[in-house]
Amino acid sequence: MLLGPSGSGKSTLLNILGGIDCADSGDILINGERMADMNEKALTLYRRRHLGYIFQMYNLIPNLTVRENIEVGAYLSRRPLDVDELLRLLGLWEHRAKLPNQLSGGQQQRTSIGRAIVKNPDILLCDEPTGALDYKTDKEILKLIETVNQKYGNTVIMVTHNDAIRLMADRVVRLRDGAIRSNETNAVKVPAQDLEW
Amino acid sequence: MKNPLNKRMLRELRGEMGKYAVIAILLVATIGFVSGFLVAGSSMIAAYNEGFEKYNIEDGHFRVEKQLNRAQLKALTGAGVTLYDLHYREAAIPNGSTLRIYPDRTQVNTVCLMQGTMPAARGEIGIDRMYAENNGIAVGDTLTDENGESWTVTGYVALPDYSCLFKDNTDTMFDAIKFGVAIVTPEEFDALAEQQIWNYAWQYDTAPADDRAEKDAATDFMKLVNKTASLQAFVPEYENQAIIFTGDDLGSDRAMIAVLLYIVIAIMAFVFAVTTSNTIAKEAGVIGTLRASGYSRGELVRHYMAMPVLVTLASAAVGNVLGYTVLKNVCVSMYYGSYSLPTYVTRWNADAFWMTTVIPVILMIFINWLVLSRTLRISPLQFLRHDLSRHSNRKHALPLPSALPFFGRFRTRVILQNLGSYVVLFVGVLFANLLLSFGMILPDALNHYSDTIADNMLSNTQTMLQIPYSAMDEDRKLNALLSMMMFRMETETEENNAEKFSAYSLQTLSPEEGGAAKSESVLLYGVEPDSRYVQLPGDGVYLSSAYADKYKLSAGDTITLREKYEDTTYTFTVDGVYDYMGAVAVFMPREKLNETFDLGSGYYGGYFSDAPLTEIKEEYIGSVINLDTLTAVTRQLMVSMGASMGLVNGFAVMIFFVVVYLLSKMIIEKNAQSISMTKILGYSGIEIARLYLLSTTVVVVLCLAVSLPIEVFLMKFLFRAVMLESMTGWIEMWVSPTLYPRMMAAGLAAYAVVAALEYRHILHVPMDEAMKNVE
Repeated sequence: MLLGPSGSGKSTLLNILGGIDCADSGDILINGERMADMNEKALTLYRRRHLGYIFQMYNLIPNLTVRENIEVGAYLSRRPLDVDELLRLLGLWEHRAKLPNQLSGGQQQRTSIGRAIVKNPDILLCDEPTGALDYKTDKEILKLIETVNQKYGNTVIMVTHNDAIRLMADRVVRLRDGAIRSNETNAVKVPAQDLEW
Repeated sequence: MKNPLNKRMLRELRGEMGKYAVIAILLVATIGFVSGFLVAGSSMIAAYNEGFEKYNIEDGHFRVEKQLNRAQLKALTGAGVTLYDLHYREAAIPNGSTLRIYPDRTQVNTVCLMQGTMPAARGEIGIDRMYAENNGIAVGDTLTDENGESWTVTGYVALPDYSCLFKDNTDTMFDAIKFGVAIVTPEEFDALAEQQIWNYAWQYDTAPADDRAEKDAATDFMKLVNKTASLQAFVPEYENQAIIFTGDDLGSDRAMIAVLLYIVIAIMAFVFAVTTSNTIAKEAGVIGTLRASGYSRGELVRHYMAMPVLVTLASAAVGNVLGYTVLKNVCVSMYYGSYSLPTYVTRWNADAFWMTTVIPVILMIFINWLVLSRTLRISPLQFLRHDLSRHSNRKHALPLPSALPFFGRFRTRVILQNLGSYVVLFVGVLFANLLLSFGMILPDALNHYSDTIADNMLSNTQTMLQIPYSAMDEDRKLNALLSMMMFRMETETEENNAEKFSAYSLQTLSPEEGGAAKSESVLLYGVEPDSRYVQLPGDGVYLSSAYADKYKLSAGDTITLREKYEDTTYTFTVDGVYDYMGAVAVFMPREKLNETFDLGSGYYGGYFSDAPLTEIKEEYIGSVINLDTLTAVTRQLMVSMGASMGLVNGFAVMIFFVVVYLLSKMIIEKNAQSISMTKILGYSGIEIARLYLLSTTVVVVLCLAVSLPIEVFLMKFLFRAVMLESMTGWIEMWVSPTLYPRMMAAGLAAYAVVAALEYRHILHVPMDEAMKNVE
């Protein structure tokens, strides 16, 4: 969990890890290879093979259905998850034929999670995935990310400014003014269901 | 797994039906017309070429004073040729036209029946289809000549030796309104009152090996005919304009039509690219997410390029189907409107497929790839942040003077926001108006020529004399001398204002010989020093203004001309230009001309006169140049090109409409949220139109105004190129004072429709558009 106030650099760090932004200094190694040495093609391949991305804004393709939006992620993977199974897991089975503008915010975010997770990525990068939603839907999304993490075993790196949800993470990295201020491991993880804020 | 992004194509097509429909209609119309033109052209060329064998076209024909007797026929056929009677009579029709009537042909230049039936009895006639259509004569009509003789028209025919209706081989242009050919039964022909013209066609028993051998064979045969009979005209097939002109002209517009197609495709490709770039801007967040998820730039470029390419492919498919069916017939009728061609069979044309399908698709891919790969070059993060500027430093807003009223500043911002679109709009307007100006200038120039040529004639009548072939017989010199003396005596005239001139005909150099246009005949006039008809400023060499304008020559330049079918050339230094647009001609003092060509000091070749010289025998008159003959060119060009000019104008307005409609639609859509917001704020529809539509109106009016002089400038080159290609002789470009107002009116009328549609569009932008998540 990357935690910090607005402007602390947590999204920037996430984007650097995702290969869509560059670090001014320092090195990031991916399987022993320096990210700074990777060209655009290599970075695209890295994202394609290893990463799933979830943003605060869902960025769904407006003229594709829920199912097709998830297939957009599946197309990129050599070992995609079963789309039908995922639709059920995400609670979108009944909505699979709907277009994004027929969905609520929570349903749209669940679709974007489906699009990211269907690739079966090694790492799931989540940039404030709950930032645009209400408390109840926030919790649903967090539970979903937790379930996905447990079921598929991917590494989840989540950016948030909500201090209360740090308890569901294995490790919490705090940032302020573009620098890491602390790096702690939670001795006891709290399930998303039990989080309150 | 197929790319799931492809599934949005059909929905995209449905969602943007208006945009794709207008582009598709324009592409289908363009591709269809070009395909139809190429298919019709190649089918016609095939019909024309195959006609030589199918209709057994002559190797040449000659005209003699009297019918050949058996001994003469034997002498001529002994020279390795087969002779055929091709006698004719000429009937004067009350509408001012001449009908050349032949008896039915069964051996040479056989008849192609186009419609109806062949004449089978006395009083029946089959007339040339084109002449009939130009003069409104239908099958079943009764045709009466000035002698009161009448025939029932049983059918339309095409004679292969008159695919182009040249009455005389020396005519500058054919005239299918005032001249036609017809077929009657031999019995009817024998009974006709008009004088019979003794004309014979010949074919070589053994075809000459090449062009050179054919020329030698023709020269030898001409000498033999001249020795054997009183020769009046001798026209080998390769010199016969009525046969070869069609072949030279068919397909000569191919390159221009192809360029027209590619320009339309390029403009549409840019319109696609600009509108797709707008879609990319709208979908920036999605694109950022896809790129962040691992979609490559190439995949996205291909995805956004797919629709333009598919629309082009579909349009090409539909266009080609229309091209091979409906539009081919339109183009065929255009060919039939110019030439008296026989029936044809539609041919599959691989070139047409290549030019109308493969190249347009490649062009569409290339231009869209160029623009979209540039647009999509920015990083995923920039897409996520909706920062689509390719430069790292954001542009600052251009400071506008606060003295400018609010609406003015607002509109300026709209224009600045859409500069790229307006550049494409300018190019589209420029091209559309270039076509429009062509469609308007050509008829204007032809009319102007017809209107002004009467005041610009050398004399009301020019009588060109023709030395009889017998006077040139080298083998019978005494006879030749007598013929020449007879000619001299018989061609003297009592007409007071008739004035002798010398004449000599040379050829301009062909492009292969270093000339600027296809080789054409130039008449060199030798005029009296104190001529009342042609007042030369000095005793040098002067070009007619038509010659100077066509070949861009002026005083001090040199011209090189050559003898027809010979290598002998003559070079002259130009001393000035004489104002005469009627022909490509050269003027010099008579004495100088006679001396240059060794014609003898007393030689003359014709008369300038106010009235026709009736006392000179017809056999000594080669041709008469008067207002009627000088305007034959424009009359025929109006008939053959006039109809297509209407098409060009319609097409130009259509391109203008499509380009302006699509780009202004895109600008309204781009600003839909702002328009929605202004509605919420309380702006009325008219006020919003003043903000968003008036900016486009200002740009369109500016584009029209700026493009007009550019088009006239470009037209000078285009008009010249078309005229150089289409005709011998010359018609200068003339810009009517009403051209600009007419073009502006056409542009504004088309824009008024677009503006009305877009105003409706503005009124339909919902207020909740502003409430949508802008991300």
